[in-house]
Amino acid sequence: MKWSKLGKIFDPIKHKLPNDCLEFAQSPQALVLKDRVRVYFSTRRRDEVGKYLSHVAYVDFTRNMREILDVCDHTVIELGQLGAFDEHGIFPMHVFDDGDRVLGFTTGWNRKASVSADSSVGLAISKDRGRTFQKHGTGPIMTASLHEPFLIADSFVMSIGGIYYMWYIFGTRWKSFSETEPSDRVYKIACATSTDAINWQRDGKQIIADCIGDDECQALPTVFRRNELYHMYFCFRPCHGFREKGRNSYRLGYACSRDLINWTRDDSNAGIDLSQDGWDSQMQCYPHVFACDDRVYMLYNGNEFGKSGFGLAELV
Amino acid sequence: MLQWEKLGKLFDPRDHTDHPWMREFAQSPSVLIFDDIVRVYFCSRPAPDDKGQYKSYIAFIELDRKKLTRVVRICNEPAMGLGGCGTFDEFGTNPVSVIRHENQIRAYYAGWTRCESVPFNAAIGIAISYNNGESFERIGRGPVLSYSPDEPFLLGSPRVRRFNGTWCLWYVAGKRWIKTSGRPEPVYKIRMATSSDGLNWRKAGVDLIEDKLGEDECQAGADVIERAGRFHMFYSYRQSLNYKGREGGYRIGYAVSDDLLNWKRTDELAGMDVSAEGWDSEMVNYGHVFGLDGETYMIYQGNEMGRAGIGLARLQNAPDWFKP
Repeated sequence: MKWSKLGKIFDPIKHKLPNDCLEFAQSPQALVLKDRVRVYFSTRRRDEVGKYLSHVAYVDFTRNMREILDVCDHTVIELGQLGAFDEHGIFPMHVFDDGDRVLGFTTGWNRKASVSADSSVGLAISKDRGRTFQKHGTGPIMTASLHEPFLIADSFVMSIGGIYYMWYIFGTRWKSFSETEPSDRVYKIACATSTDAINWQRDGKQIIADCIGDDECQALPTVFRRNELYHMYFCFRPCHGFREKGRNSYRLGYACSRDLINWTRDDSNAGIDLSQDGWDSQMQCYPHVFACDDRVYMLYNGNEFGKSGFGLAELV
Repeated sequence: MLQWEKLGKLFDPRDHTDHPWMREFAQSPSVLIFDDIVRVYFCSRPAPDDKGQYKSYIAFIELDRKKLTRVVRICNEPAMGLGGCGTFDEFGTNPVSVIRHENQIRAYYAGWTRCESVPFNAAIGIAISYNNGESFERIGRGPVLSYSPDEPFLLGSPRVRRFNGTWCLWYVAGKRWIKTSGRPEPVYKIRMATSSDGLNWRKAGVDLIEDKLGEDECQAGADVIERAGRFHMFYSYRQSLNYKGREGGYRIGYAVSDDLLNWKRTDELAGMDVSAEGWDSEMVNYGHVFGLDGETYMIYQGNEMGRAGIGLARLQNAPDWFKP
């Protein structure tokens, strides 16, 4: 694989964002519409106790991705009510074009006491081509289960042969590295299937091999088909020290599969790496691959988890 | 109306000072019958931490089968430890319901976790004993019954039974949290799920018991027995606010069904009310009904949601086991 970088294409501080959000445009996810490409992202504001709440917003690009047409100034989806799984943020929201409706697979966050937060996956439905989303219930469609005890997140959905496939992540442990710092989480990529996009079958199996040991954190899988193969990009990092700049930051990983069951990890063939300097020189994370007008693009975040926006690359 | 003869308080952990992890509370009693004894599992608590927050452990006592008011054994250790960091049952395992299955004993329990915006959340897990119920091992680190679109939080209060080869689990699901000047208070309703193996559950997806105290009524502890060809449910209900005293505290409700799913609420037939004074004068709640040696008993918790221990009542009459 080889990607040509087109640079950073959206900077949240240059635009007025809904819900009083100021910084961050994380985990960009594309919905290709007739006259535009709508890119959803999660942005943030601080609540009354000074902690972040993540809200979903979007920016519309021309179909060649060269120009911004519009940035939404309305609430795309409400956060959850008191005690709900998505009370403290939705990050990310994956969108899936399901014909006459758009499905939003939300990762909802709720803050906890002994660990920072837990997450579950919810479903929301848009009947206005992705302008707004209404939730399918107050609760999640995928949450902790017997062998996936916490931190269900980062859905990516494809329909293949009439079956919905979802790649997502689940937590495997919370790990304490020192008495003074909060615990760090470890999470892995898995796959679920469904016939109705609401009820999902899953087995708690990690499908992508670790390359930096047991404590590797794997996040945000994105899958596409090309040349008889399925290709997956994701991001990964060690579970501790990842907020410091440098070698423990998120990197992009790559795997491929012929049968959607067995995946061969081959990061050396990812075809994209950190830049020498600039916005993606220390970190690359939250990749999202989509096709438009016979071109294949990858949206992704750079340094500081997307605090200053997202960029684009094109498959060559 | 049913008539119950109260046989008094069976056990109060506050009378036993050598179990610091079982300092107070005997909640959610659930029995297992052996040849010579009746074992009563319940949930008990050590002293709260410096923020006033409790943990809860599964414990048991054993009663003389010939004289049920005689406690012949008190367990020394919790029957199971709490879950690991970040898991659904990190801060408590309460309530509990036990059942025999082949040569195992299974415990269905609600796990407690703690949250920031609301005090806690819960989901239902399963643990299995391979040593005749002396101790239990969880079958996984996560819950077996957890949140879904119309059951968004607070899955708790499991009561498991098997009827005609079908596993039935009655439980509660949270509806909403009510903001108050102090800590938020939840509203929850009784629901059920069924299973062919007791492990993989299908939720019925409906509230089973119509509200009597308005839409903010809390309902919990739904225990079902079969008598005279019908199903009889005893449950607990209360107001969602000001429920810690006699006025708004838990009472035992009663409903009857022919199909386990559609229930007719007739609390006035329950026949189980608070006493004029004593350990169950403010609340009677979380009743568990069982048959033994030709009699029908209810074991239940009393005042302050069981802080004052558990007691026993014996059914004196069943006039018509309740024609519609």
